[in-house]
Amino acid sequence: MIMETFDELNAIFCKVFYDDDIKISRENTADDIEGWDSLSHLNLVVAVERHFGIKFTDAEIAKWKNIGEMYDSLLLLIQKKGK
Amino acid sequence: MPPFEIVNNQYNIAYYCTRHQCLNGKGEKTAFRWIDHKGERADYTFRQLDTESNKMANVLLQLGIKKGDVVFTFLPKMPEQFFAFLGILKIQAVAGTLFSNFGEEALADRLGDCRAKVVITKKSMLKKLLRALPFLDKLEFILVVDGDENNEKIMSLPGLLEKSSDSFEIPVTSADTPSVLHYTSGSTGKPKGVQHVHKSILTQSYTSINVLTLNEEDLYWCTADQGWVTGTSYGIIGPWSLGITQLHYGGAYSAETWMKLLEEEGVSKWYTAPTALRMLMREDKNIFKKYPLKKLQHIFSVGEPLNPEINTWAKDVWGKEVYDTWFQTETGSIMICNRPRIKIKPGTMGKPVDIINAAIISDDGKPCLPGETGNLCLKTPWDSMFIDYLNNTGVYNEKIKNGYYYSGDLAFCDDEGYYHFVGRNDDVINTAGHLISPFEVESSLLEIPEIAESAVIGAPDDILFEKVVAFIRLKNGITWSDDLELKIRIYLSNRLSSIATPQDIRVVEEIPKNKSGKIMRRVLKAWYKGEDPGDISTMEI
Repeated sequence: MIMETFDELNAIFCKVFYDDDIKISRENTADDIEGWDSLSHLNLVVAVERHFGIKFTDAEIAKWKNIGEMYDSLLLLIQKKGK
Repeated sequence: MPPFEIVNNQYNIAYYCTRHQCLNGKGEKTAFRWIDHKGERADYTFRQLDTESNKMANVLLQLGIKKGDVVFTFLPKMPEQFFAFLGILKIQAVAGTLFSNFGEEALADRLGDCRAKVVITKKSMLKKLLRALPFLDKLEFILVVDGDENNEKIMSLPGLLEKSSDSFEIPVTSADTPSVLHYTSGSTGKPKGVQHVHKSILTQSYTSINVLTLNEEDLYWCTADQGWVTGTSYGIIGPWSLGITQLHYGGAYSAETWMKLLEEEGVSKWYTAPTALRMLMREDKNIFKKYPLKKLQHIFSVGEPLNPEINTWAKDVWGKEVYDTWFQTETGSIMICNRPRIKIKPGTMGKPVDIINAAIISDDGKPCLPGETGNLCLKTPWDSMFIDYLNNTGVYNEKIKNGYYYSGDLAFCDDEGYYHFVGRNDDVINTAGHLISPFEVESSLLEIPEIAESAVIGAPDDILFEKVVAFIRLKNGITWSDDLELKIRIYLSNRLSSIATPQDIRVVEEIPKNKSGKIMRRVLKAWYKGEDPGDISTMEI
C-alpha cells in the first residue's frame, strides 16, 4: 500500500514536470528535479491534493524540506481520510 | 578601483574576464566560489576560468563554429555555464543564454528565430530540448555537460573537452562585434532577440565600479540567473572584467540558506531582486538576528520597482539601505539608479548614471515638465545599447526616435532629478522581474483543446509585483473543473515556463474586443481590479 502511494506520487511528479523518467527518492529536494521552483510547486501540490482527495495546510507545506517529508504528510492525511 | 581601460584595441569581453586578469597578476585570485545546492564548495581562479573557457572555445572551433554563429547555453547556474559563455565569446560567436525553466515552445521560438547552431545543456534538460528539435532545422549540435551519449548531433561535452587544448589565442575583437543575445518579450508577436556588441563591457564595467561600488577586496554575489541580462551583465561581465571575486550559488531560494551564505562567506556587495527581498520580509525576524551580516556593505536590487517599505525593513533588520537600479535587456547595463554617494530616495528609480542622459518625452515628442508623466527615454547611443532586434529591425527602428531610445516604461522626473516609475505603455507583464508577453501565453492557451478564446493581463501582486491572469472562454459543451484548471497550469508551465503560468484563471462568457477584434486588456484589468473600465464605446461583445 505504502509503496503504491509512493509510486503514485512519482507518477504525479512525471505528469507535472513532463518527464516520464523522473525517479523520486525521499531525500530529493527541489534542487534535484528540473523545473521545480516556487511557482511549479503550486501545480505539484494541487495535483497531489486532487489525486489523493486530500488538502494540505499551509503550515504542512511550509515544513517540507524534501520529498520524504511531503510524502509523510501525505500518508498521514490519507490515513485520517480512511478513518 | 581604477577605471576599466581597453588595451590594444581589443574589445573581446571574454579576454578581459579571463586572460587580461591573468596577465595583470590575478591568475591565482579566486574568480568565483561555487557552492552547489548541497553546500559543496569549489573555488575557481581566473587562470582556471581562462583555461576552461579556452577548451570550450577550441571545442566549438573543432565543430566548425565560427565568428557570428549563434551558440546558446540552456543550463542552470553551474560552472560550465560560465566556461561556455566565455568560450563562445572568445571565438567571436554570439553567446545566448536561456532560462533553465523554459519549456519546449519557449525554446523553439528563441532557438529557431536566431538559427542557433549549438546548444549546451545538461542531461536532465535534454528532453525539453529534444521536444523542440523538430522546429530547429539549423541546430547542428547539442553538447551535454554531463552526458556520455555520442552521435552526430548529441555529444558528450566532457568527452570533447578532454581532447581539447587549454590554450587559445583570443582574436582581436572590434568594438562592434556582436557578443551577447538575450530574448525579451513584447506585448505582441514572438520574443525578440536583443543583440549586443563587445563594447558593452565599457558601460558594464563602469557601472560595476560607479554604481555597485565593486573593488578588489569585495566578495560579490549577484543572485540573478544567467538566462537573463542581469545574470550576464552583472553576474559575469561587469565583475570579472574588473577581476572581482564572485559567489555563485546553485541552489534555490531559501531564506535560511541565503542568510547563511551571506554571513559565512562574507559577502560584501549583494545584487538581488525585489521579489526575493519581499519574500525575505515575510520570514521570521529571528533569522536575521542569527546572521548580522557585518561584512555586507551594500545591497542592490533590480527587476521591478522597489517598494519603499522594503528599504525601511532592510534598515531595520540589517541597518542597510537597498539601492534600486533600473535597466532593461535592451540597455545592457544600469541606466538609472539609487546608489551610494547620492541621497537615496526610497520608492524612486533614482537618478541617471552620470554617463547616461535620460528624458521624459510626451507622445508628441516634446520634453515633459517635472512631475509630468511621459515616455521614459534614453539619449542614444551608449556602449551597452543593443544594436538590433534580430530579424525585427522594423521594431528596433520604432523604438529609436529623434536620437532617443523609447524604453516602453512610463515615468516622471521630480524637481530633484529623481525618476519615478509609473507603469508600462504596453501590455507586457513584469512578474518577479521577468517580462512576459500576453500574446505568448494567449497563444499557448489556445493550444489546449477545451479553450476557445483567451486573453491575458498583468495584475498587481504583493510578492511578484505583477501576476499573470488569464481570461478564457471555453468551447461549447466544455465544463470548467478543477482538473481542467490543473491541466492548463501544467501545460503552460511546461510549454512556456513556470513564470508564464497564470496565477489566476477566470472563465468568462466573452472576451472583450474592439470592433477590429483587438482584445481590450484595459477593460479586463479594470474588471479584475473592480474598477470602472472607462470608455467602452468601441467594445464589441
